[in-house]
Amino acid sequence: MRRQFRSMGKLAFKNKRRAPINALWRGNLGMSEIRTLIVDDSSVMRKIVERALRQAGLDDGLVVYEAGSGAEALEVLKGAQVDMILSDINMPVMDGLEFLRQLKAQNLAPGVPVIMITTESSEEHVKQAIQCGAVGYIRKPFTAEQVKERVLPLLTAA
Amino acid sequence: MGVSLRESVELIADPRNLDASVEEVFQTMMGGQCLRAGEEAAAYEPESVTAVVGFGGLFSGACVFRSDSGTAQLLAGRMTGMEFPELDDTVRDAFGEICNMLAGAWKARVPTLAGHCGLSVPAVITGRDYNIHVQSPEFRVHHFFTFEGAPFDVTIICDGLR
Repeated sequence: MRRQFRSMGKLAFKNKRRAPINALWRGNLGMSEIRTLIVDDSSVMRKIVERALRQAGLDDGLVVYEAGSGAEALEVLKGAQVDMILSDINMPVMDGLEFLRQLKAQNLAPGVPVIMITTESSEEHVKQAIQCGAVGYIRKPFTAEQVKERVLPLLTAA
Repeated sequence: MGVSLRESVELIADPRNLDASVEEVFQTMMGGQCLRAGEEAAAYEPESVTAVVGFGGLFSGACVFRSDSGTAQLLAGRMTGMEFPELDDTVRDAFGEICNMLAGAWKARVPTLAGHCGLSVPAVITGRDYNIHVQSPEFRVHHFFTFEGAPFDVTIICDGLR
């Protein structure tokens, strides 16, 4: 069941869907919910990232917030606490790197790991994203296994 | 001394890069294999869908991904696990994202290119009887494929290399 998340713009919503399976990782991580913000201008890609997280074993307890740009993501974070952010880089209005800079400048979501999921995967782009505050990088196209490999260690560390 | 891609042009224009990129994207995102098709221009009926992602930086040009509306619906369906009876905004969104991934996978094949070439956000055009024309491109790689029997083609156009 999905409902609009008030005041977060038309692309941002809180996804309350729960599947009663696989509490393995949630239990191991000691978290009742894994609140994840997915930032991508493509609604299809946001759904695919969410599906990959569920396939990676984070199904039970996964709460997804969505934003279509860095600017929308900042608005979401003013009203919601999250445990992890997965963000694209190439987006209109505010790209992923500027989003990272603004996160730091506005002291939003301190300590929350940000992983970039993007087609931009050169060493230069990775370096730039890390300098801006990202802690991980997933290149599109990706598999659920790759998402799992990058995401779970970060949640465990958190 | 600044970086130049001019000496890597043969590596960049290698047609095998395009085939490998198509294979990687379709295998990973749609779980299926693509087959190379003949070199004849496919007539996309009843309307064609074209996604374009621009390259900027030391390499300028575009990645152009084309199919008919039926193929676009099929690919969006394979990518999302949903069914699309018509060409709607979600299909266009998925089609643009495939083009984006093709462009990213293609430029990642040549490390010197990957670091000095940025990608635009995808633009998707639908309709009938239109052509995309680039004046005197430096090089062009244009391959036709099928996925589960559905035809599509991908073109890499380079109109400037520094």
